[in-house]
Amino acid sequence: MDAIDSVFDPLREFAKDSVRLVKRCHKPDRKEFSKVAVRTAIGFVVMGFVGFFVKIIFIPINNIIVGSG
Amino acid sequence: MGGGFRVLHLVRPFLSFLPEVQTADRKVPFREKVIYTVISLFIFLVCSQLPLYGIHSTTGADPFYWMRVILASNRGTVMELGITPIVTSGLVMQLLAGSKIIEVDNNVREDRALLNGAQKLLGILIAVGEAVAYVLSGMYGSVGQLGVGNAILIIIQLCFAGIIVICLDELLQKGYGLGSGISLFIATNICENIIWKAFSPTTINSGRGAEFEGAVIALFHLLITRTDKVRALREAFYRQNLPNVTNLLATVLIFLIVIYFQGFRVVLPVRSKNARGQQGSYPIKLFYTSNMPIILQSALVSNLYFISQLLHRKYSGNFFVDLLGKWKESEYGGGQSVPVGGIAYYITAPSSLADMAANPFHALFYLVFMLSACALFSKTWIEVSGSSARDVAKQLKEQQMVMPGHRESNLQKELNRYIPTAAAFGGICIGALTVLADFMGAIGSGTGILLAVTIIYQYFETFEKERASELGFFGF
Repeated sequence: MDAIDSVFDPLREFAKDSVRLVKRCHKPDRKEFSKVAVRTAIGFVVMGFVGFFVKIIFIPINNIIVGSG
Repeated sequence: MGGGFRVLHLVRPFLSFLPEVQTADRKVPFREKVIYTVISLFIFLVCSQLPLYGIHSTTGADPFYWMRVILASNRGTVMELGITPIVTSGLVMQLLAGSKIIEVDNNVREDRALLNGAQKLLGILIAVGEAVAYVLSGMYGSVGQLGVGNAILIIIQLCFAGIIVICLDELLQKGYGLGSGISLFIATNICENIIWKAFSPTTINSGRGAEFEGAVIALFHLLITRTDKVRALREAFYRQNLPNVTNLLATVLIFLIVIYFQGFRVVLPVRSKNARGQQGSYPIKLFYTSNMPIILQSALVSNLYFISQLLHRKYSGNFFVDLLGKWKESEYGGGQSVPVGGIAYYITAPSSLADMAANPFHALFYLVFMLSACALFSKTWIEVSGSSARDVAKQLKEQQMVMPGHRESNLQKELNRYIPTAAAFGGICIGALTVLADFMGAIGSGTGILLAVTIIYQYFETFEKERASELGFFGF
């Protein structure tokens, strides 16, 4: 039983610490969340499409390059 | 410390040979930073699409398939090495410095220069080593087929690209751009991958005739061309082997969850001892180490995969090799192998719920491994990267900051109540989100989405800081 306790005690302590941490945390409200979500989504889409279009453009270019090779 | 031999000094003779970006000697306007960042990104993207000259073929199993997204690497192109050289050298130097194996005094200008030089030199050496390894291992066809001339050509191209990435990252880091090049390239690679899977115009032949690869394109195509709309919808949402709409929705869901948790933080009030008690705050985020645990965990898994596949190819049937992992070609082609036994199998995400039900031990093992690895890496990383409670306390002290209601000597103790727990628990949350994303079939893998979102989030924080200081600059 001591062996089991020595394994579970740290886990129990960690779980307690984690719960306390989460309770103490400031959590984003709806407005804050929406703002960040929209911004990040825009960044995501912009980055994604930049890469997407470079890739689209290079498909025919690569066909020419590799074809002649 | 005088008279002691110091490892960093070994680097000094090489400094003059290393390509170097001059530090910005003036305040670079925000708009110029954006331009430099965009230009760097385009250079990287173009390199990611340029095919290597002289390669015989890129068929055959790709041992790096699993980690290409994370390391911004693209098969058969000039950017085959991706950011591996720079990330690896960065991690190595960080570990050496953080572990005090290399003595670095950050207050000494020369030490910082030597450290940067060492990291760059190591990056170049790694690029050379990897390029040679790629060629000799037959990634592009056997050396006999390539010929010595082409082999050397390929190595030169890969090394050159590696150096370009190193210089681009340095350009951005030295104040000409926003944030770090590494993060930018990873995030863009992942976003591109996801957008491509959603909107790709490429067609692939399956048993049902030609299908569009992109999930959204396929959805509209199926709705337009099929007479049976209900079956068309079901196929668009649930088709196998290609990206489908459910994958896309899962990706969006993970995206929103990550953003929500990004906002969790404990705000500790701090006050300056000078400047008439100027009030401030020091936030400790739930994701204290950001995406670092997932990067380290992915690196660990990828390296294990690589080693396991190499051994399996040469020594299949050996007990220890099989224990490490058994592999077979994926049924769906693409040249990748999938683990079917051994440790490599158990640390791979189950491919479906049916797979989980068939082998619950696999699912459980994977889950425990994922969460434990992320927690451990996260906790270790704060010590190594200089963001532990002790390091933060020292920084605040140097900035003459104190916490109201606490004696100065108690600052570290107070920080210790939050930082280690935030690191470990945050790591577990990161691991859990990754697992959730993979189970739901999110495009780009859970790891990728987490990386992309946390990187973009950081970019916006940097963005706001830059604009704030810009306005402040004008204000004076």
